[in-house]
Amino acid sequence: MQRKLFFALVVMICVLVPAALFAGAPEKEEAVEGEVDLSVPITVLVTDPHIQVVDTWKPIWEAQMGGKIEVVLVPYATLEEKMWLEFRTKTGSFDIACVPVTWLGEVFGGGHVESIQNYMDKYGYPDWDDVMPAAKRITQWQGETMALPYDGDNHMTYYRKDALEVPEYQQRFKREYGYDYHIPPANWSEVRDLAEFFNEWDWDNDGEIEYGVAFIAQQNSQAMWSYMDICAQYTTIAGPPSNYTSNIFFDTETMEPLCKTPGWVEAMKMIQELTNYAPPGLLGYGYSELRQAFVSGNSAIAFDWGDIGIQEQKPVEYGSKVKGLLGYGPLPGAKKYYDRKTNRWIEKQHTVNFLNFGGWVWVIPKAAKHKDAAYHFGIYMTNPEHSLLDVCGIHGYTGANPWRWSHFKATEAWVRGGWGEESARNYLKAISDILQDPYAVPDLMIPGTPEYYTGAGSSLDVHLNAVLSKKISPEEGCRRIYDDWVRITKEKGFEQQKAFYRASMGVK
Amino acid sequence: MASAAIGKRKVQWAFLLPALIYLMLMAILPLIWTLTLSLTKWHANIMPKPQWVGLDNFKYFLFEDRRFWNALGFTSMYVGISVTGELILGLMLATLLSQKFRGKNFFRVVYLIPMACPPIAVAFLWRMMLHPDIGVINTILQTIGLSGVKWTTSAKVAPFTIIMVDIWEWTPFMFLALLAAFQALPMELYQAAAVDGANSFQMFVRITLPLIAPVIVTISLIRVIDAFKLFELVFGITGAGPGSATESLAFYVYVIGMKWFKLGRGSAVSWLFLIILLIFAIILISRFKQKRTT
Repeated sequence: MQRKLFFALVVMICVLVPAALFAGAPEKEEAVEGEVDLSVPITVLVTDPHIQVVDTWKPIWEAQMGGKIEVVLVPYATLEEKMWLEFRTKTGSFDIACVPVTWLGEVFGGGHVESIQNYMDKYGYPDWDDVMPAAKRITQWQGETMALPYDGDNHMTYYRKDALEVPEYQQRFKREYGYDYHIPPANWSEVRDLAEFFNEWDWDNDGEIEYGVAFIAQQNSQAMWSYMDICAQYTTIAGPPSNYTSNIFFDTETMEPLCKTPGWVEAMKMIQELTNYAPPGLLGYGYSELRQAFVSGNSAIAFDWGDIGIQEQKPVEYGSKVKGLLGYGPLPGAKKYYDRKTNRWIEKQHTVNFLNFGGWVWVIPKAAKHKDAAYHFGIYMTNPEHSLLDVCGIHGYTGANPWRWSHFKATEAWVRGGWGEESARNYLKAISDILQDPYAVPDLMIPGTPEYYTGAGSSLDVHLNAVLSKKISPEEGCRRIYDDWVRITKEKGFEQQKAFYRASMGVK
Repeated sequence: MASAAIGKRKVQWAFLLPALIYLMLMAILPLIWTLTLSLTKWHANIMPKPQWVGLDNFKYFLFEDRRFWNALGFTSMYVGISVTGELILGLMLATLLSQKFRGKNFFRVVYLIPMACPPIAVAFLWRMMLHPDIGVINTILQTIGLSGVKWTTSAKVAPFTIIMVDIWEWTPFMFLALLAAFQALPMELYQAAAVDGANSFQMFVRITLPLIAPVIVTISLIRVIDAFKLFELVFGITGAGPGSATESLAFYVYVIGMKWFKLGRGSAVSWLFLIILLIFAIILISRFKQKRTT
């Protein structure tokens, strides 16, 4: 009897002691409406270079609110798995995360994050009308706001004024190619000719050889968006979103990938050809390498998000040798596009604006421990006054580009950020023209997007790189991407994918 | 007598139990769990639960997925060339440094440095050195009038770049093990061979190699199994590119499991990976046993 009692006691101790240990202290009472405890610790998941924004506001927030901000900094290459690990395990390892919208098909669609709408209704949002429609659009899923806007992303053209605007070079170009080029180049054919013309000679007389064109081409980086810049121009024409206008990924009726269409193949040929007129290390250019190389003066033309403009202004911090020498413009268009309705090429100069990548947003995971405080920290960083300082260069290179109407009006802040007034105006005009375009093509945001094309090891990334390194032909590359995309769509569920795609485009 | 035997058995079990529990929890259960998962479809980022698909995942990799075979092909080529290269170089270094000369100990230490570096640090070190624009290796080549090499961006060169770095990193392991084996060789055999008029080459082929053969098999086996798990160098130097020219099996498993969160497929390809390694290990071990028997 005594032995049984002893055994029962041991079992009780074995069960109760760990239970007590793991149970921990009782949770603090949830904040009631209008009264949020902002002194709680908030864990922020962020990647480089957005850490700059968090680091700027963290000490001020801590001093003002008495709270504590813990920062989990991860490189872009591992952000995805860190985020998904949390979403799957629901450990509450971070309260707010800065993530790219291209993953949001799965993040929103999978129901892994809080709806921001509830918090906006509860606590308000600093000047929602000030947020540009393109920035609002990328935070929404099936009509509901799921993330805090933070960044307005689109690719644009950068060119060296001391190359393209030199009359002597313009005359020489006309003699060789038989026409006057536009500034900035109006289409990809002009880009190819200009890149060839300015390739491998010292056109700025600095004693070093310069090259024609530079863009992100590194595998496992963001090369796919360099390709989509071109692809959009040859594959569709701007118009109200429909199967045949402002549509570059799938047929909205059949959900067949457009990857084998002549438009995609033409773009693949073009990007492969451009590598001939680029710096020798082009295939090693991720976003950091491209920006560093271009502001150090090695190429005549580059395509990137708004970040080159910020780095241009900072000779000390980023070694810029091109301050005041850069011109800005929208993406080049094309002289033709493939009309799938009639199955023929239409010869017409046109431009399609494409919201590459879409930008970064802040999300609050379902399992976050301090959601209300996280929301408040999120709107604290992204309110009109603070976000302006983050996008205009005053806080250096943060990775955030303008996304509020007020960012485009406050030229004096940009001048304080190191810009020349005219440069700032031109730069802001180039970006706002794209963001205001109602027919701008949104990036792919459906489940499986990282596997289709935006993630490391994705189909487009792998086959594009094989084409760029001339391992396979453009036609073969497009065929392989098509086969992969058909398989992925089938695996994810054809009807579901079609519904998501049509909804993301705004096609009824 | 009988109760003493039972008591002894209980004590034996008591000592064995912690190790058995550890083995069950850390090795057997995860294996069973991944085997079960490999028979399901589970896109963990959008599907709340796995869905039973039987052997579909295995069929997919074996009969439909070109990328799996490409990764297997590259990994096999890499393992074959790099382990052979490391063995030959290790043997040469060990032979050289088992001789008597001044500064021998200095070189012995220096040659071990690459092996002591974390593989991911080695990858980033070489990535910078091999950078086409600012890398020191191309700069040196251009200084002496040669053109730069596309170390990481040419589909023809990149696989050999990975092999070259691996040989640099792991030759010291071969060298260290072989040096130890050399030092344990009985001198009498060499003295007897010298008396019989054998030259150095004959002594090496007839005495040294047969005596160190078990060591060679063992360290080759260790290296083959380790090399099959190639990940860091690919991740850090080429990102598996250009295209999929340097995509290793381990990297492919990582992409499927950690990038696409296809846990069913990831488990299936991991099991295929494990089976391949087991076959290889069994072949080598049986040969080793045969050798010992003969």
